[in-house]
Amino acid sequence: MQAESGGNATPTNIITPAEAGAHGSSPKRGGSVSGTSDSGRGTPVRHVLQHGVSFVEEEKPLVPGIPVRAGSLHTLVVLAAHCFDEKEGEVITDKREFPRVLLLVHEWFITPKELVDEIIDLYRDCESKISCSVVNCDHSPNSGQCTRQQLKRKLCLFVRFWIDEFAEHFHANEKLLVDFQRLVAEEGQPDLLSLVDTSSMPSYDWIRSISVRAPCRGRKVSLVFTNINPYELAEQLTYIEYKEFRRISVFDFKLYAQTTSLKNNPKLERSIALFNGLCQWIQCMVLSKTTPQERSDVIVKFANVAQRLRQLQNYNTLMAIVGGLTHSALARLNKTNSCIPPEIHKLLAEYTELLSSNNNFSNYRKALAQSTGFYIPILGVHLKDLILLHTALPDRVEGSTGASMINFRKMSQLSQTFNVLVQVHKNAVPVEANMDLINTIRLSLDLHYTEDEIYELSLAREPRNSVSSPSTPTKPVVFADWVAGVSPPNPETINKHVHDMVDAVFKNYDHDKDGLISQAEFEAIAGNFPFIDSFCVLDADQDGSISKEEMETYFIRANRNASGNALRSSFKHDFHEKTYFQPTFCSHCTGLLWGLIKQGWKCKDCGLNAHKHCKDLVVMECRKGIHTSNNTLQQLAQQLKSPTSTSSPANLTLEAKRKMSMRQKRTTYTKGTQTNPADICPLSLDVQSIPYADDYSLQNDDDVNDLAQENRSLKAKCQCQQEEIHMLQNHIGNIRQHTISFILDQMDTLHMQRDSQV
Amino acid sequence: MSKNKAQPPSVVHKVIMVGSGGVGKSALTLQFMYEEFVEDYEPTKADSYRKKVVLDSEEVQIDILDTAGQEDYAAIRDNYFRSGEGFLCVFSITELDSFQQTVEFREQILRVKQSDENIPFVLVGNKEDLNDKRVVTIEAAEERARQWGVNYVETSAKTKHNVDKSFFTLLRLIRDKKLQEAALNTQTNKKKDKKRRCVVL
Repeated sequence: MQAESGGNATPTNIITPAEAGAHGSSPKRGGSVSGTSDSGRGTPVRHVLQHGVSFVEEEKPLVPGIPVRAGSLHTLVVLAAHCFDEKEGEVITDKREFPRVLLLVHEWFITPKELVDEIIDLYRDCESKISCSVVNCDHSPNSGQCTRQQLKRKLCLFVRFWIDEFAEHFHANEKLLVDFQRLVAEEGQPDLLSLVDTSSMPSYDWIRSISVRAPCRGRKVSLVFTNINPYELAEQLTYIEYKEFRRISVFDFKLYAQTTSLKNNPKLERSIALFNGLCQWIQCMVLSKTTPQERSDVIVKFANVAQRLRQLQNYNTLMAIVGGLTHSALARLNKTNSCIPPEIHKLLAEYTELLSSNNNFSNYRKALAQSTGFYIPILGVHLKDLILLHTALPDRVEGSTGASMINFRKMSQLSQTFNVLVQVHKNAVPVEANMDLINTIRLSLDLHYTEDEIYELSLAREPRNSVSSPSTPTKPVVFADWVAGVSPPNPETINKHVHDMVDAVFKNYDHDKDGLISQAEFEAIAGNFPFIDSFCVLDADQDGSISKEEMETYFIRANRNASGNALRSSFKHDFHEKTYFQPTFCSHCTGLLWGLIKQGWKCKDCGLNAHKHCKDLVVMECRKGIHTSNNTLQQLAQQLKSPTSTSSPANLTLEAKRKMSMRQKRTTYTKGTQTNPADICPLSLDVQSIPYADDYSLQNDDDVNDLAQENRSLKAKCQCQQEEIHMLQNHIGNIRQHTISFILDQMDTLHMQRDSQV
Repeated sequence: MSKNKAQPPSVVHKVIMVGSGGVGKSALTLQFMYEEFVEDYEPTKADSYRKKVVLDSEEVQIDILDTAGQEDYAAIRDNYFRSGEGFLCVFSITELDSFQQTVEFREQILRVKQSDENIPFVLVGNKEDLNDKRVVTIEAAEERARQWGVNYVETSAKTKHNVDKSFFTLLRLIRDKKLQEAALNTQTNKKKDKKRRCVVL
């Protein structure tokens, strides 16, 4: 029974073969206990001999079965092999945990290749180094009693167990078992070979490919934020989270625990970026609304999302949502909070308590322990556990002979955390993917803001009610201008997401399938992106509708600008020859672009126009679609021609107002008599001075209707603005009141002081 | 929260460990909590980061929230900071970046704490045992601490140098602030009774 220790076997200062059953769940084969030695902390270290290998004994084992505290890799593999019953052909029930923990966490200590090599060595050594207990044994494969054959079978069972329990290891590295399979094949034992066969594993393609399209039911959902059902949103977020989460391997976790950096750790980085993106997206969605009531509506919606996430036991996303909703940038909005119904307040308080960091996240840990079936744990909490564990315990400990042994105590502690983390692999996600919505969400989440920017916006929305800080005027925030990258994801990912998102948008909104999105539809979609530019900016060629290319170009560039990198400054104009149907002026020399066809060159990116000889002299930086002054007139005029263009931007910025007023005036020229182009330039910006209703000579009723509609919407905007002015006036009143009461207070104090002196 | 049965040692002081990744926050935490008995540490237990300590002959409980592993979760840092009563802001004297990041942490803490400049706060330069690899001078760190009006302590989680000192300095600050606030409350209450408005200058 006792074997000579093979290759890299450990210490041999243990000797006395002795009574089995020295400890609790003692193995059926003989064990021996001997010697004490130092190491660790004061308590004696006991070496145990089992199955011919020795290890440091654990007094209070976390893993039932075998009480190992530390041992060499050789020792651990031998012990694991002996957890299998070669006659039954399966793992011994009460020893199941030991091989499982070893396989689950081994990547923390060694590479899977090292583990396989150890198994191969052991298998080979069976022939030479293992002594057989059967007298006159011929060690033939048929000999059921032969110790060597038994060990071989156990090893194969161990490998079978590995394949069944952790198929993902073999998908990550398909060649992993090849050498071992060859070795077994050489022996010509078909039953053993079938045990180590990996051809019939379930498919885990998703581990490698970064995004596999799940079957889509083809149902249509609204991609517009205000129309998305919160439950639908929660489910799709769960799907995204699930996909990201499953890709992260034990090795990724280990790398992070050791380096505490996301460098070279793209899978973990993606997951964390998703979390942060979601958290900030919520804040931006709330803060993009102008009135407290609208903001509270968004909060209520996200609270409902949180509710569904709780049901789905998706704690990670729940944490991101609740973290976003209770962030100080939102928590400080008193006016908004007073609009939130009490039951939503209660719900949020409940979730905050559930996810609170108090008592080492005990509420969350309790909830998690009670969760069955599908769940997604809060990655951050478990990362913390791993890091602290890694700090507390060394990977290897020194045995009494000075040999380095794997710290199995750490292995078992780690396995408790990894059991939680890999649980995600075991259950199917209980939601159905809707790729269109997912792509839209993903892109929304890829936008990066800084904490400061969000907080500033929050201050602008509801200024501090103190005397010391007067209200900051709400400056219009343009999506691409205000975004600054925290850690921009790589361009390829962005491009891919943009592409998918744009595809999705067109699939759902391009009803006539002509590959173009009209302005009205666009405005609805834009609700998903709090700081997107207006329609005419995306419509780069100003033909009144947005093509796929235009939308992709816009998002990709916006993202690139957002990351604030060097690309921005080196951004060159992309000129191409163009035939203008309207009198157009050169941006450089301000002269007319002469001729009937191909009068000038136009930048594909910013829409800037120039003479052929001027285009290389243009000093203006190429900026994504913000057109100003003279060329705007042209483009807006062209835009007006399109019957679909009714303008209703969600937030009326100064810029937009100006554009609109210019559009009004432009109408009088384009629709009216042909005017000398030179007259267009010195237009004043005063809308009111132009009696545009009078000199219309419109050809058809459609145009009249369009303009009437626009007129109406402008009036509504005007009213909005007046309301805002009213609000600001009220606010000034408040400040005045505060100032006066402050002065009065001061005087009061002085009086008091004088009183007391007297 | 504080439903602990057997041991209700009156006061709990909540300390938050902040600082960028890899500066040794967790090593400091574990050293302070467990010293050489760190093998007994179990990461998931509710009381793993609570300890009874004697602060100037008064028994108090310290509750440490270690933000290790949360460094990259920038979006919810804010939410963690809110529950803190005092902050140990840790950097590594061998890593300039980590020293620079303390500014960011300080700003964020002040924002969460409504710009309260008196928030208990200790600046900690860790890895003092690696003096030969030092890139942040004592002068630079002390200058920053002086600007902020906070204490600076150099520690080594490895040799246990000054570990207790850094925590106890912070605990005293937290205690003093709590006493101050309590006094202020009673004062304002009294004043209110007299129907006099009080302005603290």
